[in-house]
Amino acid sequence: MSPTFLSQAMTVARRDVLRERRSGEVLWVTLPFGAVALLLIPIAISTDTLTLRRVGVGMFWVVVMLFGVLIAVRRTTADSTAQRDMVALTGMDPAAVFTGTALANFLLLLVFETVLGVLTVVLYDIDLSGAQWFPLILVLVAVGLALLGTIAAGIVATGRSTAALVPLIVAPMSVPLLIAATQSFEGLRLGKSILTWILMLAVIALVLAVAGVLSARPLQETG
Amino acid sequence: MAARHRYPAEVSEAIAIVSLSGVAVRAGAVPILRDVNLSVHPGEVVGIFGANGAGKTTLLRLVATMTRPSEGSGTVFGTDMNSPDRFEVRSRIGYIGHTPGWYPELTLAENMAFVAAAMGIDAAKVGSCLDAVGLAGAKDRRADRCSHGMQRRAEFARVLLTEPDLLLLDEPHSALDADAVDLVDGLVKRTVERGGAAVLVSHDHARVESLAHRILRIKEGTIT
Amino acid sequence: MTTAKPHSSSVWPWYAMAIAGIVTLVASFVAPPDALQGELSRILYVHVPAAWLAYVSFGVTMIASAAYLWKKDLKWDRIAAASAEIGVLFTGMTLVIGMIWAKSTWGVWWTWDARLTLTAIMFFVYLGYLALRRSTDDLEARAKRAAILGVLAVVQIPLVHFSVVLWRGLHQTPSLLKPASVDMDTPMVITLLVAVVMFSVMYVAMMVKLVELGKLEEQVILSELSSRTPVAGSAVTAPSLGGDA
Repeated sequence: MSPTFLSQAMTVARRDVLRERRSGEVLWVTLPFGAVALLLIPIAISTDTLTLRRVGVGMFWVVVMLFGVLIAVRRTTADSTAQRDMVALTGMDPAAVFTGTALANFLLLLVFETVLGVLTVVLYDIDLSGAQWFPLILVLVAVGLALLGTIAAGIVATGRSTAALVPLIVAPMSVPLLIAATQSFEGLRLGKSILTWILMLAVIALVLAVAGVLSARPLQETG
Repeated sequence: MAARHRYPAEVSEAIAIVSLSGVAVRAGAVPILRDVNLSVHPGEVVGIFGANGAGKTTLLRLVATMTRPSEGSGTVFGTDMNSPDRFEVRSRIGYIGHTPGWYPELTLAENMAFVAAAMGIDAAKVGSCLDAVGLAGAKDRRADRCSHGMQRRAEFARVLLTEPDLLLLDEPHSALDADAVDLVDGLVKRTVERGGAAVLVSHDHARVESLAHRILRIKEGTIT
Repeated sequence: MTTAKPHSSSVWPWYAMAIAGIVTLVASFVAPPDALQGELSRILYVHVPAAWLAYVSFGVTMIASAAYLWKKDLKWDRIAAASAEIGVLFTGMTLVIGMIWAKSTWGVWWTWDARLTLTAIMFFVYLGYLALRRSTDDLEARAKRAAILGVLAVVQIPLVHFSVVLWRGLHQTPSLLKPASVDMDTPMVITLLVAVVMFSVMYVAMMVKLVELGKLEEQVILSELSSRTPVAGSAVTAPSLGGDA
């Protein structure tokens, strides 16, 4: 009768992707917002191609970290108590709901990263050496950031001033992700091994996944 | 307290579906409920009357395990309300609050299909449940383009879909036309006939009195 | 406002703080100036203990957070919160003093030294923690959410630490703000020890006062809100149902 953990998580993820397809919140609001940021930076710093090539990757990751968290936060302020009640009363395991939410956030973040990544290559004339590693790095960072954002959104949940609070909590904690992401690209540019950074991204993802699943049940009541 | 003893004889021997003893609830720092003792048995319909702000909604949310007791103890279907496993009994509870909780971007059918998938119910049932509450023509309409009345009807369809053993209705008769009111009564009777129980919170005393076996009143800390 | 009940207000922490402050100040000025850095070296007697206690504070927050999740006793929540507040204060102090020192010694306010970067990140992590605490009046919910964040910091900060150290290590930047590695003679070491002990006394005294304050704040929230709102719901009584409770 009762569906498995995995099928519950998939149900939640499908719901979020379907809601995004209807509302276009990430595609038509958050994504253009991030793209504008990538346009503003050269206007403020320099339009010199050499300078842009040097700062491009770093700027891309900063934009991903700061704006990407908006993807995880988008539901915390919008969803009503009644909507949370409806989910809770299905009797789904809160850990499965967390997993599904994080999975949907991961997929949306991956799209976000990919589109902004292409834009960065175009606007900042990025060096493409080691490009075969890009997908792996993008995926691992998206996993880590999705988990971090989903956990923070769960902790903040129904309090006041949630819109700004989640980014404040996530930003300093995203430092290891930022360092591992930027240093991987730096390593690829210099032709060095990036194994350490890839391992670090994997460890971050693992640790956050465990933390998220374990904290889901204590955070389950809806208010 | 006005108690009406019209429930069948076997009820008193059955194990309580809901059992609260000495429960207090604070929402934030505000005390909402104090020293609540209540048990609801299979086959029973309990009506709760009280003025606005008396704590009726909090009592229902407490029973639905959506609000935890700050003091005292309680069980629902034998599961402790403070237990980390309490989410497991929620699929047996049907709760209809003041505001429908449908996702605005999804159609009524998609919303219902989400509930069905989450609970492992055959999605094929969704259509017939919406038909049964008179929403056959609005299945594929986005929830935010449905009137409040239609969204409420859809909530009755959800109850038909999930077949809860404990039905919790908050002001079920407000803002409904005559046949929808009959729908509520039908849901309550259906649940009780299957051996479940229902708790109704309402201003509509006549309606609830005709349904309930027992009436309780909440009023600013006084018994009336 | 009604006074709920008489509360304990200890006086000794005020004396302890005053004495600890005076002793630190006197010791800092009695110690001989450093041969290389001159009078500026005295700033270390505040900088080093502040940095040390910042880390102690956050450690206590982590332990108290875990204890709250274990015991569900608001006492632990008050300890975690008080310690985080002191930690943010001392971290801020460490950063500002470190910046003054860096400016006078190397001519720049900020260096991207691993330790300095980490301290700045910690500062913001715990500012977030304190901001989360301000976002609700629901004492139990606040305690639980803050405790989970407090514990999440435990799993995340080692990763932050490791990544920052690895990152700086790559660039071979000399670690500038390492006062402890400066060759120090005995009077300076003794002064530093005295300062650390005095700061620890200050920490304990501040903890006592802040935990008392936290308890008072909870009482104010409870009494203000409850005097505004009529207590409802005590009318639901046991149904007269065949000997059932």
